[in-house]
Amino acid sequence: MATISLKNLTKTYGKVEVIHGIDLEIADGEFVVFVGPSGCGKSTTLRMVAGLEEVSGGEIRIGDRVVNELDPKQRNIAMVFQNYAIYPHMTVRENIAIGLYTQKLDKAEKARRVENAAEILGLTKFIDRRPAALSGGQRQRVAMGRAMVRDPAAFLFDEPLSNLDAQLRAQMRIEIKALHQRLGSTIAYVTHDQVEAMTMADRIVVMKDGHILQQGRPMEIYSNPVDVFTARFIGTPSMNVISSGQAGGEFGGDGGTPVLLGVRPQDLHVGPDAGEGHALSLSGPVTAVEPLGPETLVHFQLGDDTVIGTAPATEIPEVGSTVTAHAGRAHLHRFDAKTEKALERR
Amino acid sequence: MVHPTESDTIPTHPVQPAPRLSMRTRSAIWVWSFLAIPVLFYCVIRFYPTFNAFWLSLTDWDLMSDAEFIGFENYRRMFADPGFWQTFRNTFAYLIYGTPISLLIAFVVAYYLDRVRFAHNFLRALYFMPYITTAAAMAWVWRWFYQPPPTGLINSALGELGFGQIEFLGSTTNALPAIMVTAIWAGLGFQIIIFMAGLRAIPDTYYEAARIDGLGEWTILRKITLPLLKPTTVFLVVFISIAFLRIFDQVYNMTTNDPGGPLGSTKPLVLMIYQTAFSSYDMGYAAAQTVVLFTILLVVSLLQLWILRDRA
Repeated sequence: MATISLKNLTKTYGKVEVIHGIDLEIADGEFVVFVGPSGCGKSTTLRMVAGLEEVSGGEIRIGDRVVNELDPKQRNIAMVFQNYAIYPHMTVRENIAIGLYTQKLDKAEKARRVENAAEILGLTKFIDRRPAALSGGQRQRVAMGRAMVRDPAAFLFDEPLSNLDAQLRAQMRIEIKALHQRLGSTIAYVTHDQVEAMTMADRIVVMKDGHILQQGRPMEIYSNPVDVFTARFIGTPSMNVISSGQAGGEFGGDGGTPVLLGVRPQDLHVGPDAGEGHALSLSGPVTAVEPLGPETLVHFQLGDDTVIGTAPATEIPEVGSTVTAHAGRAHLHRFDAKTEKALERR
Repeated sequence: MVHPTESDTIPTHPVQPAPRLSMRTRSAIWVWSFLAIPVLFYCVIRFYPTFNAFWLSLTDWDLMSDAEFIGFENYRRMFADPGFWQTFRNTFAYLIYGTPISLLIAFVVAYYLDRVRFAHNFLRALYFMPYITTAAAMAWVWRWFYQPPPTGLINSALGELGFGQIEFLGSTTNALPAIMVTAIWAGLGFQIIIFMAGLRAIPDTYYEAARIDGLGEWTILRKITLPLLKPTTVFLVVFISIAFLRIFDQVYNMTTNDPGGPLGSTKPLVLMIYQTAFSSYDMGYAAAQTVVLFTILLVVSLLQLWILRDRA
């Protein structure tokens, strides 16, 4: 296992710069998740670490080696792709063994490692089958098996769960996390799914337009987003962001300048004010309700915007009726109206 | 809100009687009415003559008099004719050398052309050009290449470089290879395009994963590219084989003075059939030769499909 370090990393295609100088240290054994919308540069960054894209500027170190000019195979990393990249004409055993093809090990040792990986991933039963006879989740595990047998310095995952259905994705999240705990490996993982980022990462790196916006432990980013984009990207449903004018006085910045006010739907409770002195009260007609079981999401109109609050499972308001929702001061996030940066960090 | 009950529901449009034919039957009628024309066409101009040839091969039909049944006399005559065995050997020479050489050259060109970015489309068009050129025009250009000096391009070049002259189309040993070169060249364009389409269909991530796993170029070619290209290869092997078994126009156009010559050394089965039928008007005998060609085509194609089958 090894550390990965990026220093002022840039990538240009022709004259267009798509990665604008990224600095990042990934510790030995750390699980780092890059998250961001399509085109934010997260996959490009990962592919530069893998050696599949040339580095335009800056430096990549794996362990204590600068790897900028090294071929992928010399970097001793393993990668798992979105479409698995397992070979349809080979059995599970052959697919896993291809990871060891160039390693100087004797046959028995190779076979032992392949079987060991299959065992860990629960593929022993399918080891002589072709990928066509496997489910999506099993194929993904074969791809992970091929990465594991190499005993690489780091694992790179490029949206590995995007092709799976929701239920399988939830299961594979747990499996990958368990695998990380078991192997203690350094992992760089790219996804556009913030749920994967929240549930799996030791550290989340939020990217947008080729920049790192924020990095930190999942809960740190969740409760202390640096700007409106991160605040809305992490957490589901997205955080409500309204202007302080809509919220009614007393939230403005210095000298009463308007600010943006963020509150997560989970912190915005629909129902009567129990007289607890809520800092924020919003009212409007209900446009939609989404009963989730344990709670109900209530969409209501506030000026031109729609705001989402939560109501208890048993009290589902009628569409069209007017509701009031409340949030405590501790749950409010204030952002500068112009720069959209957070005004205070907690 | 008051919900209407079953009894007060008024139909908004008149009830239509159920159609007499089921959905399935109607769609079958449609399908077959579209298929009828090509089916009829094939039956009349393909299948009927084919089956008729089997019958004619057992007769002595010569266009003028009525066909008379003579049993296997035509086949006996054919198998006793050294000329037939000569064309039989020639045909298989075209097949056995032509197919693998074509396949290899087409693959190598496609493999490297696929990586060339510079003038890619132009190069591809250049390789495809021979395929759309008339066989007659192409054959005459190659005949000119093969002429003795000072006309022939190759022999003139050899002379300039101080080498001896080579007799191409006039020699019983060199004529067949010389014609085969033309035939291979003529087919390459199509095969290259098919191979390139096959190569393009292999996802890039397969190669990226292989590079990360440290596989070398040669290993990637052997372990990944070629196995994944197998359906394309099977198609081309069968396609090229059939083309070589049916070779005619290259030979005919390059040996016009003595078609199939010199001394029948380049003559393939199809040319022999053509001569038997349309020079000697020996239709029964020609039909027997056709049946032999048909059998060879069938056996070779089935054999290839069986050898190259997917053993999964």
